[in-house]
Amino acid sequence: MGRAVAVIGTGQTRHGRRNDVSYPDLVREAVRMALEDAGITPKDIEGVVSGTMPSMMEGISDTHLYFAEALCEVGKPVLKVESCGSTGQSIAHCGFYWVASGMADLVLVVGMEKMFEGDGQATMSTVADPWFLKPFSAGAPGVFTMQAMEWMHRFNIPEDKAHEAAAFISVTHHDSALDNPYAHIKIKIGMDEAKNAPIITYPVRLLDVCPTSDGACAVILASEEMAKKIGRKPAWIRGLGFRGEEFFYGESNKSIWPSATEAAKHAYEQAGIRDPLKELDVAEIYNPFTYQEMIFYECFGFCPRGKAPDYVLEGKFNRTGELPCDPSGGVLCTNPIGASGLIRLAEATLQVTGKAGARQIEGAELALSHAMGGIDQFNGVTIVGAKL
Amino acid sequence: MRKVAITRFAQSAGVESGDNLMDFTYRISKEVLDKAGLKRNEVGCVMIASSDIFHSGLSCANAVDWDGSGAFMIEGTRAEDSMFALIYAAMRILSGHFDTVLVTSIIKGSENPDNDTLTGFFADPFYMRPLGINETTAAAFQMREYMQRFGVSEEQCAKVAVKNLGNALFNPYAHMKKRVTVDDVLNSETVSDPLKALECAPKSEGVASVLLASGDAAERFTDKPVWIKGFGTSMDHFNLGDRDLLNGQLTVAAERAYRMAGIRQPRKEIDLAEICEPYAFQELLWCEKLGFCPDGEGGKLIDSGETQMYRAFPVNPSGGVLAMNPYVSRGLYRVIEAAMQIRGRAGEHQVDKKVRTALAHGTHGFAGQCHSVVILEG
Repeated sequence: MGRAVAVIGTGQTRHGRRNDVSYPDLVREAVRMALEDAGITPKDIEGVVSGTMPSMMEGISDTHLYFAEALCEVGKPVLKVESCGSTGQSIAHCGFYWVASGMADLVLVVGMEKMFEGDGQATMSTVADPWFLKPFSAGAPGVFTMQAMEWMHRFNIPEDKAHEAAAFISVTHHDSALDNPYAHIKIKIGMDEAKNAPIITYPVRLLDVCPTSDGACAVILASEEMAKKIGRKPAWIRGLGFRGEEFFYGESNKSIWPSATEAAKHAYEQAGIRDPLKELDVAEIYNPFTYQEMIFYECFGFCPRGKAPDYVLEGKFNRTGELPCDPSGGVLCTNPIGASGLIRLAEATLQVTGKAGARQIEGAELALSHAMGGIDQFNGVTIVGAKL
Repeated sequence: MRKVAITRFAQSAGVESGDNLMDFTYRISKEVLDKAGLKRNEVGCVMIASSDIFHSGLSCANAVDWDGSGAFMIEGTRAEDSMFALIYAAMRILSGHFDTVLVTSIIKGSENPDNDTLTGFFADPFYMRPLGINETTAAAFQMREYMQRFGVSEEQCAKVAVKNLGNALFNPYAHMKKRVTVDDVLNSETVSDPLKALECAPKSEGVASVLLASGDAAERFTDKPVWIKGFGTSMDHFNLGDRDLLNGQLTVAAERAYRMAGIRQPRKEIDLAEICEPYAFQELLWCEKLGFCPDGEGGKLIDSGETQMYRAFPVNPSGGVLAMNPYVSRGLYRVIEAAMQIRGRAGEHQVDKKVRTALAHGTHGFAGQCHSVVILEG
């Protein structure tokens, strides 16, 4: 089935409020780092894929035109792929199929967002249709809170327990971000602080929610032959999947979230994974909200339905636990949306190639990366391994 | 290498649709699946093309496009341009991971602001946008330079509009159809000097859908597959001042497609071309860059009459983009028209000659910043 594809280089900007650079400069920062990491020059690149959130985010549309130089794509074949928040995974998948098809041996994949130049919540409200959904929309927290309530109700999860587990996730991820040189929010918080943070939309509190960030991420994908020629330690793409549900929020069951469940299942089948909790060494889950991260644990088969809070409180998903999740601090601490899904793949790559520095999970060989988009509508998963 | 076929397709006519966006998308996607005898959930992957340029007031266009294009719970994603979507879909099949991909491109022009309000958002906020640069003003610069450098006349440019709007009279899917003279074109309102109103494409709505299949799977869906023999894209610099507007990246994109298809002499080996010419003169310039005539001789090419519908080298027998311009979908419309001609089933605008190999072209960005070329064969 197609050619093998490896990630041979990654680059991330310092994420946060980046008033020091223009949007193209921000993109170039990530591209330059990825090229250096892979030990190649722009000339070597045979194709460029890019993607962001919709144009309302920064007020520029079809940004692949504006970023022609920043993306090193002048004179090169290009593709532009976007799928809301899951863009980061969608562009990685595009790069994968490009190389797998035999049409290129080296493809540069770049995701970016400069959220401090626009209004993220206003933009996301325009994902809703003007007649039925928009009157109810309250930015991202409104939607994801509704999902959290549905999930707790469906599985009879006591609110206190979920609240405790959400705070625990917040504390551990904020701790992890302190070890990640690229992370945006770097604060040391305690359980009491997380549990008593101001409410955004009940039961979600301030420290359960991701920030808005400026940032970009670039990844270089190579064919097996090219990866061996270049000689850097590769992360092999072992499986990938993407699924989307109905546009109208109320039409699907978000507590068992079919798109998340099926996207992971598709990727597991290709990677030959049967027991993800045991077989995966680390997972980089797209977690803009702590409650949502728990639903993902269940969809991805890390624990039975409705049991995520118990597993969390037992420490199973800690950096020292059975399956460390988001040792980078995740989206909860860094969220340049168009880049966020690709950052998950970059972090998973760093883990399985042993280059994750202070946030390295010892001996990690198989990692899951993921992104979610739309009004809880889309999920994409990519699994990378140290071995082919 | 695997082969990729266009098996079935459908396109909406350029008239304003009474359907809402979701129904509009559904109707055309369903038509293709019905023609192929394929159930929705038997499709391997759905590739959507639509625009996030304040598309119907909805961001993340793929969110609302998802249901109507039949993508519920199957593999899929969205590209920013229909040629990108087609090429990405072809690569998914070439990878061996998929046997079928449904490509649906969606633009409901009647619900959007006019083209140049939207193309103005391609401009960077600092240098170009305050100058009012959009696709039309950028094309005006390009046309002026084209006429000055090569002595191509306004009359020669106007002839493209005469030909294409006339061809459209025979195409039931076209939006603008008109019998006009060179004088009519030259006397139409100046939009952005030297561009005249009849030389600028309208704003249209159009949903187009194509079912691609691998070589082995294709015969299940059609007895007349049209093969994708080659494709190529290329990107130019962003700032207009950094570019030679008459020597852009179309040559490079075409070379990529020709190399893949094994074409050495495009004018001899290609029987027909469907070219994306949102501005009349661009058909002449793009013909040069595609190698159909020497540089600077686009004017002579139209004067020769060879590019008319029933002559030796038909260009845009459908009427082209001047007659039908659903922005993101316009590239896929060219592909469908080329495929129809190859099958010999284009109806009243079927050309006289036997079409074995045809070229389809798409472009977006200022003065052709980004080009895509696809080569089809019967």
